[in-house]
Order: sequence, then structure tokens, then C-alpha cells
Amino acid sequence: MDIIIGGVYQGKLDYAKAQFSLTDSDVFFCSECPVLDLTKRCIYGFEQYLRACAQSSILPQTEYPAETVLICEDIFCGIVPMEDLERKWRDLAGRTLTVLASKANTVTRIFCGLPQQLKP
Amino acid sequence: MTVFITGGCKNGKSTFALQCALSLSERRPRYYVATMEPPCDADELERIRIHRAARAGKGFVTLEQGRNLPVCLEQADHSGVFLLDSVTALLANEMFPTNAQPDETATERIAADLGTFLGAVEHAVVVSDYLYGDGIAYDPVTERYRRGLAYLDRFLAERCDCVVEICLGRPVAHKGRLPALEGKT
Repeated sequence: MDIIIGGVYQGKLDYAKAQFSLTDSDVFFCSECPVLDLTKRCIYGFEQYLRACAQSSILPQTEYPAETVLICEDIFCGIVPMEDLERKWRDLAGRTLTVLASKANTVTRIFCGLPQQLKP
Repeated sequence: MTVFITGGCKNGKSTFALQCALSLSERRPRYYVATMEPPCDADELERIRIHRAARAGKGFVTLEQGRNLPVCLEQADHSGVFLLDSVTALLANEMFPTNAQPDETATERIAADLGTFLGAVEHAVVVSDYLYGDGIAYDPVTERYRRGLAYLDRFLAERCDCVVEICLGRPVAHKGRLPALEGKT
């Protein structure tokens, strides 16, 4: 699995498409629904899936095919949210991504469109 | 050399940018492109005071240019060093004109202005703000501004020789090599 992380509007999907030769048909766009289509090579908006998991108190998927490219927005850097769901979502996102990153082949942070290799 | 600097609020971007501009200028003219537009509130006036004090005695000519960026080039020596602080203010000025609706075309216009600006000068240090890591969905107008600023940041990151993130005053190079700052480790 390859993980791409970064803030909103930073160019994560553009980078993934170029780096892994993906087209839109390879991408599963997460909505606020706690189900993933792992037949698609790329999972985009993973944070939305995690939000749905937090909302439904479902544990997120931890096993992924080796070729999966997982794209998640960095939502970790604000004030601790007052609202319960927002807080649960952010905690779940941080914990889940940290575990997944430990298993991933590569972890890349996109900053202003530029890749920063965090792993290996 | 062109340097793009961004990072979190009050993390030392302007201080680093100033040092960067000084180290690039040596004997070249120094220009500070000031972008904050009056009327300013007390916080903004305080920031302006701090920024003025920081560059006092360092030989900067201040060019007040809150919008229409390329205009400041008319009165300047293009071989000088230009410190532009900040893109954040430029976009806010043009997207949110006083007593008028938000201007949807501001982002594209400023991208074009920045392209003209960077094409005309040899040495520039450009400062922005990193507003993209809190997971909050803002109202549509704020979100349009945030998307616009991210677009300008990516445009600048692609165009500039060096891209630096400042975190707690420490520079992290994302592109190119960090400019050598005099007397700094």
C-alpha cells in the first residue's frame, strides 16, 4: 500500500494520478459512507470514509491490497473540536493513518503540490 | 533566485523571509512590497509596526501595493531583491473588495500578476500562509478563498527555485536548497 497525505487543496490526487498512472476510473471517491470499494486501485477522500466510521461506530478497514493507493486529507492540525463526532473523527483519523503508515511501502506528504517522502 | 515561503501563523515566516532577502541582496537594491490595505484594525496596525521595525535601517524601499502587483515594478530596479509579504493579503484585498460582492475572478488575476512579477524580476522572496490542515469545512465564501490561496501557493511552488516551510522558526526545504543566511545556523 502507498499512502498520500496532505492538507486540503494541496494536489494529492494530481500527484497520485501522475505517480501511479491512474485515471478517474481507477479511483474510488469516498463519500460519508463506511464502505470502501477495494477493487479500485486508488481510494480518495479516505478521511470521509473515516468520518462515516466514526459516525456509525464501525472500526475502519485495516487490511488493504498491496497495490492500493490511499489518499487522505490531513485534518489533524486544528483546535480540539468541541463536538463529540468531530473529535472522534479526528482521533480515529490520526490513529488509523499512523497504523496504516507503519505497514505502507511508501508515505508521501504533498505540500503546495510538492511531494515530501516520509517513508521509506 | 526566487524563494517561496509558507507555514503556520506566527511561526517566523516574515523573519526568515527578511533574512533571506538580505542574504540575496548584497549590493542590490532592496524592495519590500507591502500588501496590507487601510483601513486596518488594531491587530493589523500592530503587525505593520512590528514588520516596519524589523526592516528598519536595513535599506528597504517600501512599495505599497495591496493589489495590481505588477504596478510596483514601474518604480523599481528589476535587478533588485523583492520581498513580497504576503500573497494571503493580496488575495484577500482583491477577492473581498470593500462594500462589494466577493470577486470570483481574483485568484486567476493574481496568478497572472504573480507570473508577470516573477517573470520580470531576478530575485524575489514571496510569503504565504498554510491554512490547510484543520479538517474544518468553512462557509462557501471562506472555502473559495482557501481554495484560491492554495492554487496560488501551488503556482508559486512550481515557479520558484526554492520552496521553504517554516515551522517554529525552523526552515524545511521542499524544493531546491535552503538559501544560505548570513550568521545563521
